Amino acid sequence: MSGKKEKEQVYARYVASGKTVQHLASWGKTLAEMMNPEGKPEVLDDILVLDASYSNFSGIIAASFFAEFGAEVIKIEPPDGDPARKMTPFGENVKGVGIPFMVEGRNKRYMTLDLKNSEKDRKDFAKLAEKAAVVIETFAAGEMDSWGLGYRQLSQKNPGIIYIAITPYGQYTDKARQFAHFPDADITSQAGSGLPAQVGDPANSPEPYNWPLKAGMWAGWYMSGLSAALGGSFALIHRQNTSEGQMVDVATMDAYSSMVGFPPTIGYIWERARPRIGVLDFILYPYGLWKCKDGYVVIAAPRDHDFRALLKILGLWELEDDWKYTADRIPDVVDQAMILYKAIEEKTVRYTADELVRKALTYSARAARSKWRGGGVPIVMKVMTPPMTVESKQFAIRRIFQEVQDDTLGKFVINTNFVKMSESPPRVKWVSCDIGKDNEYIRKKYIQEE
Amino acid sequence: MEEYFSYTAKLFDPSQVAKKPEILKGIRVLDFSHVIFGPTATRLLANYGAEVIKLELPFHGDLWRPATYWGKYWKHSNPLWHFVTQNKYFVGLDLKQPKAKEIIYRLAETSDVVAENFAAGTAEAWGVGYTQISKINPKVIYLSCSTYGQYGPLRFYPGWDLLAQAASGVLSLTGYPNTEKFYKLPDYLGDFIPGNFGALAILMALYFRHKTGKGQYIDLAQSEALMRLLWHFTFFNLTGKEIGRTGNSDPTMVPASIFKTRDGKFMALACATEKQFAGLCSAMDREDLLKEKIYTDPFERLKPANADALTKIAGDWLKSLDAEEITKLANDKGFPAAEVMDDYQICHDSWRRQRGSVILFNDEMYGELVMAGPSAQLNKTPARTKWLARPVGYHNRLVLKKFLGMSEEEIEILEKKRIIGTFDDRPGLKPPVYYNLDEDPIFNYGREGKK
Repeated sequence: MSGKKEKEQVYARYVASGKTVQHLASWGKTLAEMMNPEGKPEVLDDILVLDASYSNFSGIIAASFFAEFGAEVIKIEPPDGDPARKMTPFGENVKGVGIPFMVEGRNKRYMTLDLKNSEKDRKDFAKLAEKAAVVIETFAAGEMDSWGLGYRQLSQKNPGIIYIAITPYGQYTDKARQFAHFPDADITSQAGSGLPAQVGDPANSPEPYNWPLKAGMWAGWYMSGLSAALGGSFALIHRQNTSEGQMVDVATMDAYSSMVGFPPTIGYIWERARPRIGVLDFILYPYGLWKCKDGYVVIAAPRDHDFRALLKILGLWELEDDWKYTADRIPDVVDQAMILYKAIEEKTVRYTADELVRKALTYSARAARSKWRGGGVPIVMKVMTPPMTVESKQFAIRRIFQEVQDDTLGKFVINTNFVKMSESPPRVKWVSCDIGKDNEYIRKKYIQEE
Repeated sequence: MEEYFSYTAKLFDPSQVAKKPEILKGIRVLDFSHVIFGPTATRLLANYGAEVIKLELPFHGDLWRPATYWGKYWKHSNPLWHFVTQNKYFVGLDLKQPKAKEIIYRLAETSDVVAENFAAGTAEAWGVGYTQISKINPKVIYLSCSTYGQYGPLRFYPGWDLLAQAASGVLSLTGYPNTEKFYKLPDYLGDFIPGNFGALAILMALYFRHKTGKGQYIDLAQSEALMRLLWHFTFFNLTGKEIGRTGNSDPTMVPASIFKTRDGKFMALACATEKQFAGLCSAMDREDLLKEKIYTDPFERLKPANADALTKIAGDWLKSLDAEEITKLANDKGFPAAEVMDDYQICHDSWRRQRGSVILFNDEMYGELVMAGPSAQLNKTPARTKWLARPVGYHNRLVLKKFLGMSEEEIEILEKKRIIGTFDDRPGLKPPVYYNLDEDPIFNYGREGKK
């Protein structure tokens, strides 16, 4: 490059005309300014959220979302701390605090109350709950109720309270009663809600690669936490309209199946479970991972015109006749689909990821400006690892990572700004999470009578 | 006081759901979005009572209509599509025609929310972007969904769920260490999870609008929504190391893996706390482990060598028992365990049916279909399914007459000019073969001489 700014390239037919390109160039600049979160109002600055979740990140994560949107969130834990503090990859920690807990410690107040053992602390919790809009808890179903802190008790003094309970099997049904004390974990939420059953190699592959495989992240806990925050937000809208609170019940064993909806419907229509098919996809093809010279790329070219474009850039046009239509490529017969998979792989291994991405983009940019090519968009992307994304210019401009600092934890980088909103965006303000650090502040503000 | 579970059974009784009020009644959503990501955000609003008007290109329809599992249809429909498009109003409208744009602008005047997930810039190019719609309706909440966002150097890069998984780092995390293989998250989770973020952002914007009267623009990138689920960035930042792929083990607690049982089932088991670990040791009859410092200190226990040793001990123990025995022990001793559930089990699990997280829905057009219920159950204003997907343009008359006050004559002119339209004779787009649309009162809304 000659030091000149590279011209922004477009890859879609509809945005390729001169006038539109101009409009979008200025719109892009306007947006970058408009979506800057600094100094903007916070949506939930009028509510108090109590997070009493215990050894369960679903609750902590749900509380984080409310905190990012501006609620005053008090994390309540016993004096020896929530065991969630100690769940951390390979035991890595900063002064006894695990990394996930540091990451989800955003914008929260910390108070110690021993709800399990202290009658006095329960009274303080009840006082706090009179002023709260939302309570989050992950104790055994009915346990808070037995302490006089369940929804039916708290809602008597505070009819506007939204009470979010998160457990493996929920708050009602016979199973919920039978497994009321069953504790929760991410991996059990994943397994029990249907995710790992879909990941892994086909049955005839060697063990353990043909076993069900968990997602390499806290998919169960994050989906449950998100569902709880979303359910709570619906309840907040109702509360805003009517002043009426309610109970929100999340079962982590529903996390995956209720998120994607595929498992129950497929079980009903086909009267069997899907087999695992490794790196293939059930609906779209090509849609998956391919090896390249220096690692892996993902390729998505499922529509027929995308597929034709892919064949052209890989020099595989001679295959077109056999695999012309989506219906030819659908991997209902895995062995057949693997033939095409291998043919594509023979080509992709000859190029680096960057070369393949460049080829696809060059083609797409030309296709966007050409009538006769029919707009095929073969999409190729490098498989990024978390450290690689931290280096990405795109995410830097969009402020996805933020360096934060805390007296105890020091400086570190966390993920933030997960959605951009022009008027009331979420944000991270602080991350400190010392046990009981806000006891005094909270007592003064919410518990002591003036 | 009433016993807790008998109290909650009444509170959440699934048979009462249809009678309870809907939170978003009266909220109108103009929905340009297609496939999964955008439609999931608006589907969640529709579950809670919003009036979602789904716009599709006449005679073609949404890209996902014909793309089914293994290429198989159910009553001429894509069975999985019903979940994503339940409770929506289907309007076939050709955006390219100026008259269609007029109709859209009129609908936009009375809409609270507009949602789209075209390639970045496309909505602007077509005159239905935030710059144009906010002029007509300054209080509008406008959600743009894309893979990389509406600004930044990658904004025009094309994308799908898979690309967002790759760009966010998510795709590099699932698989076995020391192998060459990565697995994507299944079932387009890279669309569904960000779709839920979209609904969350819209609710926050609605809450804000109620307080201030202000609408706003929301720019949601699916890659960024997925990044919110990872603490891997901070781990790398603090340790300089990568977590990488850890196979079937969760590196944050131990043991925490998926194991095979004596009866050949797969079982996830975890110990998230000291108490749970003690429970497992007691179940395994290995309380001796609780005397060793490397296993009693949670941070020590998590170190790879110690974690591997414990995982092996737990794995050997699980091999000697049937899944049912393990579940019983887990419940008695208090540690998390769950069998790996597949499609068939989830569909037929009686607990899920009782709970309402899997429902047998009876639709007027399609008959019975089992589908997923809501992720969160609200006792006063629950989510619900009211109808399934409909053929392209099924609600043309209802929406244009009822919402815009158009006459049958006006609509017939629009049809003749192919500004509005319905479906081609293709599976995925058309109604089931047994269904007679001529006699359908909604399809023929306000039409003379039709029932």
